[in-house]
Amino acid sequence: MTITWTDWQATAVPLLLALGAIAVLLIDAFWSTGTKQHKHSVISLITGGMILFCLAFVVVQRNGFKPAFCRTVVEGPAECSLVLEPLTIGLWAVLLIGGLGVVGLSTYRLLSADIPVGEYHFLLLSALVGATVLAGARDLATVVIALEVVSLPSFAMVALNRDRRGSEAAMKAFLVSVLSTAVMLFGISYLYGVTGSLYLQTIATRLPGIDPDLRRVAFAAGLFVIVGFGFKIAAVPFHGWLPDTYAGAPIEVTAFLAVVSKSAGVAGLLVLVTFGVAPSGSELRLVVAILAAVTMTVGNIAALRQQEAVRLLAWSSIGQVGFLLAPLAVGDAQAVVGYLAAYVVVTLGAFGAVAVVQRHRPGGLLSDYRGMIRSEPGLGAALVFFLVVLAGLPPGLAGLFTKFAAFQAVIDAHLGWLAVVMAVNVMIGLAVYLRWVAEIFRLPADDPFSVDIETPAVAVISACVGSAVVMSLLPSALFALVT
Amino acid sequence: MSALLLVLLGLPFLAAVVLWVLPVPKADRLAAIVGAVVSGLVLVGSAVLWWDLLRPRSGSSTIGEQARTLPGRIHPYAETDVSWIPALGVRFHVAIDTISMPLIVLTALLVFLCCLYSLRITPRIGRMRSLIALLLVIETGVIGTFSAVDLVLFFLFFEVVLIPMWLVIDIWGDEHDPAGRRRAATTFVLMTVLGSALMLLGFLLVYRVTGTFDLEVLGQDPIRNGHGVALAAAVLIAIGLAVKMPLWPLHIWLPDAHAKAPTVGSVLLAGVLLKLGSYGLIRILLPVLPGATATIAPYLAGFSTVAIIAGSLACLAQTDLKRLIAYSSVGHMGFIGLGIATMSPEGLSGALFANIAHGVITGLLFFLAGAIKDRHDTSDLRTLGRALYARLPRLGGLLTFACLASLGLPGLAGFWGEMLVLLGAYHPADSLPRTTFLVMMVIAGLGTVLTAAYFLRLVRTLCQGDPAEYPAAAFAVDLSRIELITWAPLIALTVVLGVWPPLLLNHWNFL
Repeated sequence: MTITWTDWQATAVPLLLALGAIAVLLIDAFWSTGTKQHKHSVISLITGGMILFCLAFVVVQRNGFKPAFCRTVVEGPAECSLVLEPLTIGLWAVLLIGGLGVVGLSTYRLLSADIPVGEYHFLLLSALVGATVLAGARDLATVVIALEVVSLPSFAMVALNRDRRGSEAAMKAFLVSVLSTAVMLFGISYLYGVTGSLYLQTIATRLPGIDPDLRRVAFAAGLFVIVGFGFKIAAVPFHGWLPDTYAGAPIEVTAFLAVVSKSAGVAGLLVLVTFGVAPSGSELRLVVAILAAVTMTVGNIAALRQQEAVRLLAWSSIGQVGFLLAPLAVGDAQAVVGYLAAYVVVTLGAFGAVAVVQRHRPGGLLSDYRGMIRSEPGLGAALVFFLVVLAGLPPGLAGLFTKFAAFQAVIDAHLGWLAVVMAVNVMIGLAVYLRWVAEIFRLPADDPFSVDIETPAVAVISACVGSAVVMSLLPSALFALVT
Repeated sequence: MSALLLVLLGLPFLAAVVLWVLPVPKADRLAAIVGAVVSGLVLVGSAVLWWDLLRPRSGSSTIGEQARTLPGRIHPYAETDVSWIPALGVRFHVAIDTISMPLIVLTALLVFLCCLYSLRITPRIGRMRSLIALLLVIETGVIGTFSAVDLVLFFLFFEVVLIPMWLVIDIWGDEHDPAGRRRAATTFVLMTVLGSALMLLGFLLVYRVTGTFDLEVLGQDPIRNGHGVALAAAVLIAIGLAVKMPLWPLHIWLPDAHAKAPTVGSVLLAGVLLKLGSYGLIRILLPVLPGATATIAPYLAGFSTVAIIAGSLACLAQTDLKRLIAYSSVGHMGFIGLGIATMSPEGLSGALFANIAHGVITGLLFFLAGAIKDRHDTSDLRTLGRALYARLPRLGGLLTFACLASLGLPGLAGFWGEMLVLLGAYHPADSLPRTTFLVMMVIAGLGTVLTAAYFLRLVRTLCQGDPAEYPAAAFAVDLSRIELITWAPLIALTVVLGVWPPLLLNHWNFL
C-alpha cells in the first residue's frame, strides 16, 4: 500500500499533542532547580497550553474537510485513514475539553498524593493523542492502534496509586483491555476476510453486496468489533471491571477514565457504526440498541444501591453510556456528540467537587455531603447543578435537551421500545442522583461539613458551572458541534 | 402585553435567585415579605393581563366568536415567539387565551396567599428563605406551563416544578415522620418524571408525523386519524398527564404527597399542580389529536368514573384529615377527566370550571387542615377528637363551609363544574358512544352522593359532638387574623363563582 497524499493539517492536533507529551517528559527529567511545586505548575501550564492551542486550532478549522494518508483507488473516491471533517471536529472539541478539565483537576491534589508529575502529564497527553486519532480514524488498523494508544497510558495512570487497591484496579483494567483488543482483532480479521479491505468506506460499500453465505460471518465479525468497544466503554455485560477500577484509581485518573477514555471509546464506536461496520438498516444497529437498553438499566439500578460517591458516579456513568449508545445505535452523530459534550463538562465538575470533599474526608461516603448547601453553599449548589444536569431535569437544561435529542433520534428511527426503556431509565437515573442531592440539602444536627477550597479547584469547578450554564441557556451550541 | 407575560414568568424566578444570593439570616427574615410582595405583583400583573384579554375591542372579531372552533385550540394573545434550538425544532413560544388565563390568575392567587400565610405561620424547621424561593420557582414553572404554546416548552416548564416540589415535601414535610415524607416526596417526583418522559415520547411522535412542536400550527392542522402512530402518541400523552392529574390507577403518589407536604405545599399541589394535567389534556390532546382522543375517550371516561367512585370510597375509610382531603381530590379530578372525555361543549366548560373551583376550594380545605394540624400537632382524626364547633367554632364553621362547597352544594363553586360535566356526559360528542357515557353519568352521579356522604361524615366526626367529652385545649387559638386575611379571598371566590358562574363560563364557547 503506497501513501500518495496527505493534508498535514488533519494530523496537526495529534502531532502537537505528541510533541507536547515528549516536551513535558523531557522537562520533568532535566529540571532540577526550583521547588516541586514550581515544576508542577510549569508542567501543568505547558500541558494545558498545548491542549488549549489544539482547541483553538480545532475552532479555526471547524468547517474544513481535510483527509490524510489517502490513496487513490481505481473507482470511487479516495480511501483515507484519517479525515478531519465536522464530525471529527466535534469529537476533538469534546475530547480536548475533557483533557483540559482533567489537567485542571490535577492541579490541586496531585502533588500531595506523591504522584510523579511529569509522567502523569506525559501519559495524559499520550492518551489524548490516541483519542484524537481514534475520532478521526477511517480505517480499522488506525482504529485499533489509536485505541491501544488510549488504553496503555490509562493502565499506567490507574496504577499511579501504589497501593493494593491501585494495583488491583490497574490489573483489572489491563486484563479486560487486552481481552477486548484480542476480541476486536479477531472481528477485524474476519471483516477483512469478508470484504477485502480495512478502509471503513470501502467496507461500507462492499458489505451490502457480499455473498449471502458470508453475511453471517460479516455479522459475527461486526459483533466482535462492537463487543471489543463494549469492553472499552464498559457497556453491560462487559462492565465488570469499571467500578473497582474507578474506586481504586486516584480521583483525577478516575475523572480521566470517565471523561477522556470513555469519550474516546464512544467516538471510536460512533465512527465505526456510522461509517462502515453497521450501515443503516444493519442488524448490528439492533445489537447496539439492545446493548444500550441493557447498559442504561443495569447501570442505573446498580447505582441506586451505592453508598460511596465515586462508586455512584462510576455506576451512573455506565447508565449514561447506555443513553449515549441509544442515539449511536441509530447513527445520529449530532445527538451523540451533544450528549457527550454535556456529559463531559458536568462529569468533570462532579469529580472536581468530589476531589475537594475527599481530600478532607477520605471516606467518600454520600453522607459526607450532608448539609453542604449550608456550610459550603457555592460548592454544594455547583454539585447539585451537575447532578441535575446528569439527571436531565430543569434547571439542568443541557442534560434535558441532550436527552431530548437522544429520544428524538430513537423515535425518528422507529425504535419505540428503546424509547420506553429510556423513559423508565430517566426515572431510575433521577432516583440515583436525588439520593445525593437530598444529602446535600439535608441539614445535620451536628457540625456541618466545611472545607477550605483551593483556588485551582474553584477555577475548575466555576469553569464547569459556567460552561454547563451556557449550554443550558443555549442548547443549540451543543448541537452545533457537529453540523 | 407580551412583555407583561414575560415579566410574569421571569419575576418570580429572579426573586428566588435574589433570595438565594442574600445571606442566610437576613434572607430568612425577609423571605416571606419579599415573597408576598413579588407574588402580589405577579397577581396584579396577571389580573391586568386577564382584563386586557377580555376587554371589548373595536375590531370586528371578539374573543367569543374566535373560540367557536375546535375545543382547546389556542387563540394566542400576548404572544412571544422566538427560535430557541433550531437543531431540535424547539421555539420559545408563549401566549395566553381564555382557557389558560383563569388558571394563571388562580396560580398567582394561591402562591400569593401561601406567601402571605408564611408571613406569620411557618413550618417548625424554618429555612424560610429556601421555602419561599422554591414556591416562587414553582410559580414560574406553573405559569410557564399554562402559557407555553410549544410542546417542548410545555414539557420543560412541566418539569421545572418537580425538583422544587420534591424539596418542599422532603425538607418541610411532616416532621413526625421523616422516612415517610422522604418516601412520599420521592414517589411523587419519580412517578411524575416517568409520566412526563412518556408524554415527551408522545410529543416526539406528534413531531415525527407533523414536523412541528407548535401548538398554534398543530391546532390549525391537527392529526385527524385515530389509529397507528396518532393513537400511540395520544395514549402516551394521556398517560403522562394522567399521572400528574392524577387519574385512577396512577394516583398512588397523591395521598402520601399531599398528606406529608407542609400546608403551603399541599395547597399548591392540590390547587395548582394537579391542574397541569387536566390543562394539558384540554390544550394538547383535544386540539392536536382529535381523532385519537375520540378513540381513547371512552377509556379515559371509564378510568375517570372509577376514580370518582374509588376516591370517594377511599375517603370514607380515611382516618387522617389531610389524606381524606387528598383522596377527595382524586374524586374531583375524576369529574374533570370525565368532562374532558365527553369532548362536548358542556363537559369541557364543566371541566374547566371544576378546575378553577377545585383549586379554590381544595386550597381552602388544605389551609384549614393545616391550621387544625398545627394546633393539635396531628391530623389523625381519632386523636383530633370531636366537637370542633365547641373548641374552635370559627375554624369548624369554615371547615363545614369548605366541605359543603367541595361536595357540590348548589350556590357554591363546586356545584357548576360537576353539573356541567354530568350534562356533558348526557350529550357527549357525536363521535363517542352515547350509551357508555350515559352509564358513566349515572355512576358519576352516584359518586356525588358518596362525596356528600364522606364530607358529611367528616363534619359529623370532627366538628360535631359533645363538648364536655372533648374540652378545648388551652393553647388552641381560634381563627387568627393572618388566617382570616389569607382565606378570605378563597371564601369570597367560592361564593362568587357559585352565585355567578357566567363570570368564567361566558368566555368558554366551544360550540
